[in-house]
Amino acid sequence: MTFIDKDPATAIDLIKDGFEKAGYICDRHIATSIYLSQKLDKPILVEGPPGVGKTELAKAASEILAAPLIRLQCYEGLDESKALYEWKYGKQLLYTQILKEKLGDLLEDAVGLEQSMDKLHQFGDSFYSEKFLEARPLLQALKSEVKTVLLIDEIDKSDHECEAYLLEILSEYQISVPEIGTIKAKTKPLVFLTSNNSREMSDALKRRCLHLYIPFPDASLERRIIQTRVPELEENLRNQLVSFVQQLRTQDLKKLPAVSETIDWARTLMLLHADTLDVDLVRNTLNMLLKFEEDIDNMYSEVPKFIAAARNERM
Amino acid sequence: MDKALADFVEMLRYSDVPVSISESVDAAETVRLFGYKDRGLLKTALAQVMAKTIDEQENFERCFDEFFSYQVNPDLAPEETLEEDGEDSQDTDESADSSPENTPANDDESAPNPASGGGEGGGGFSGEQSESGSASPLLDMLERNDRTELTMAMTAAASEANLRNIVLMTQRGLFTRRIMEGMGLDEVNREISRRNQEGDAEGADRLSGRLELLFDAVRDMVERQLALTSSGKAKQFRQDILKNVRLSNVEHRDFKYMRQLVQRMAKRLTDMNSRVKKVKKRGHLDIRKTMRRNVAYDGILFETHWKQKHKDRPKVLAVCDVSGSVAAVARFLLLFLYSLNEVLPKVRSFAFSGDLGEITDEFDRLGPEEAIPFAIEKYGGRSTDYGRALEDFKELCLDEIDNRTTVIFLGDGRSNGADPRIDILKEIKLRAKRVIWLNPERKSVWGSGDSEMLRIAPYCTTAETCNSLNKLELILRDLLKSN
Repeated sequence: MTFIDKDPATAIDLIKDGFEKAGYICDRHIATSIYLSQKLDKPILVEGPPGVGKTELAKAASEILAAPLIRLQCYEGLDESKALYEWKYGKQLLYTQILKEKLGDLLEDAVGLEQSMDKLHQFGDSFYSEKFLEARPLLQALKSEVKTVLLIDEIDKSDHECEAYLLEILSEYQISVPEIGTIKAKTKPLVFLTSNNSREMSDALKRRCLHLYIPFPDASLERRIIQTRVPELEENLRNQLVSFVQQLRTQDLKKLPAVSETIDWARTLMLLHADTLDVDLVRNTLNMLLKFEEDIDNMYSEVPKFIAAARNERM
Repeated sequence: MDKALADFVEMLRYSDVPVSISESVDAAETVRLFGYKDRGLLKTALAQVMAKTIDEQENFERCFDEFFSYQVNPDLAPEETLEEDGEDSQDTDESADSSPENTPANDDESAPNPASGGGEGGGGFSGEQSESGSASPLLDMLERNDRTELTMAMTAAASEANLRNIVLMTQRGLFTRRIMEGMGLDEVNREISRRNQEGDAEGADRLSGRLELLFDAVRDMVERQLALTSSGKAKQFRQDILKNVRLSNVEHRDFKYMRQLVQRMAKRLTDMNSRVKKVKKRGHLDIRKTMRRNVAYDGILFETHWKQKHKDRPKVLAVCDVSGSVAAVARFLLLFLYSLNEVLPKVRSFAFSGDLGEITDEFDRLGPEEAIPFAIEKYGGRSTDYGRALEDFKELCLDEIDNRTTVIFLGDGRSNGADPRIDILKEIKLRAKRVIWLNPERKSVWGSGDSEMLRIAPYCTTAETCNSLNKLELILRDLLKSN
């Protein structure tokens, strides 16, 4: 992508087009934050309800930038050895075993313990060098020769400590390994952090990132998304379907249907060769949209009303 | 960073959008990239750089619209139409007036002036001859009626007078005066009286008329600044006060703020205390200790040693007097305790005035907002009897009190003459890890009248006065820390 040198408005339109080609329909907000993150070298913290395409955004970005995607899935208990780096203990052990005799040879002419020690010190810490370093996703992204897209998924699921060691990477694009020193990024990766807001991120982390909130899309945007993702679906049905889902989102539900659910539902309806929404069809496939028995029960009686409204709505 | 942006950052800070220095540096960079032309785009971009939560985002948008709408239309103040001889200084009438000074002044004014922070010249004058040779610069400007210069002088005087620190409505006069004086009001006044003495009544009138308009413009600027910054500042001011005000005196309209305050304080305590627990869940291999321990086995790791810190969550039993004046404090104590449910998962609460009953279920079911009035209604309103309450309490849950339990009593210790049953309290103290007695009354009145506090206090681990949010926070912090 060569949007970097363009003036902002053009660049943002270019990004939008690029995303569209990659099958990701985005609004100006999203495009602006991609542009900004490139210009300011800042990670993007993406927040929003589940299923609005936070992870997809990173995937699409990796596609249009032609940069490989490196993904770190966060979970409770994720620690440095899984996220940053680990020493290859096995290899270190194996090497010491193999080199045992060699060491004997080397130390042959040394007299006394002290001299042997001195001699050993001359070889430096060869066992703690980059050759024995197992790079985990974060280090991989920094060591990569080409630009990468680093996706740190569901950061809110991780522990506080995890945030702490992310800070260095997010602001300086470097990692300090005590035994070796500081490893700086060869090319700065484009970093996405996604969060469902199940816990508040620390201020330090937020300060280092751009903040992008992706809400549920409005009807027209959602129609375009469905059009791109499920192009085979007829326009008439698409409009009805989107209108139906939009109405569902105004209800009090345990979990509101997200874009990904709309897409799944659209695919389902297509498989069933539906050409218009009718009550039975919707009731039978409601479980594609609603993921709680309670929600389905509550909405069961509302279905005819929503369908009528969806049919009457003129696009 | 230009001044407009700096002002904007300041405004955001007062509107609950904490913008750090690094963020404002980013914002400056963003402004450099985008420029002020496309406001929609700039707003989108700045929002991502400066507002980091959804709430902040809303505040940001409101501030942005407010701030930049002032900047876009350097409003041609309505005062202009009030000017003395009915002449209109707007561009439309310019040709009729055909005053040489008027044209450039108006041109300058109609250009957007984003850096001025709002400020409009000394009102509209037109068709006046200029008199040069006066001693004071302000006098000069007024005579020449140079709006651009007047505006600049006004802005300069405003920042001299620290107009940005304005907080309250009542400060308006003060700041207006200060700014005027900074611009050289005295000289102009002297000049006016000089002219009056010399019989130049027309000249004096003209000058004082212009001065009057300048006053209006300054007053205007002050008010605008007040509107920009004060809403946020005043809120902060109020919150600081609320933290210290006696809980029984909190007025109804402030409850909303209080709730937010409590939640914020609770969140801070939660953050401080939620970390250690996770370490325990997992446990790290303590390599150093493991190696040291296994030296005896020739370095083969038979015995592992895990790093474990555990901090058990205190079991809390809160017993609240919900009669009369204590109820107000009880409300906040309970609110606070339940806001801490992440770190204090096991809170059981009881309410009494005469009888005592458990209200834990109500809290779980209704949430603190509704449960507290419910409890007050159900248990409040009778004359307090500590003896009976303690008996009930003993019956209900003495068996559950163990050495990890903290019992918090909240009450004024005024038992209306009835036996407070200190013996039960003693029994509780023996079993519990801690007994905390919070009393909304000051220590000096403990023991006066029917207060049994002096008898109660020895059987509590701590007996404290607790009548403001700040105190409450301190006590709860101790509660969490000492585990």
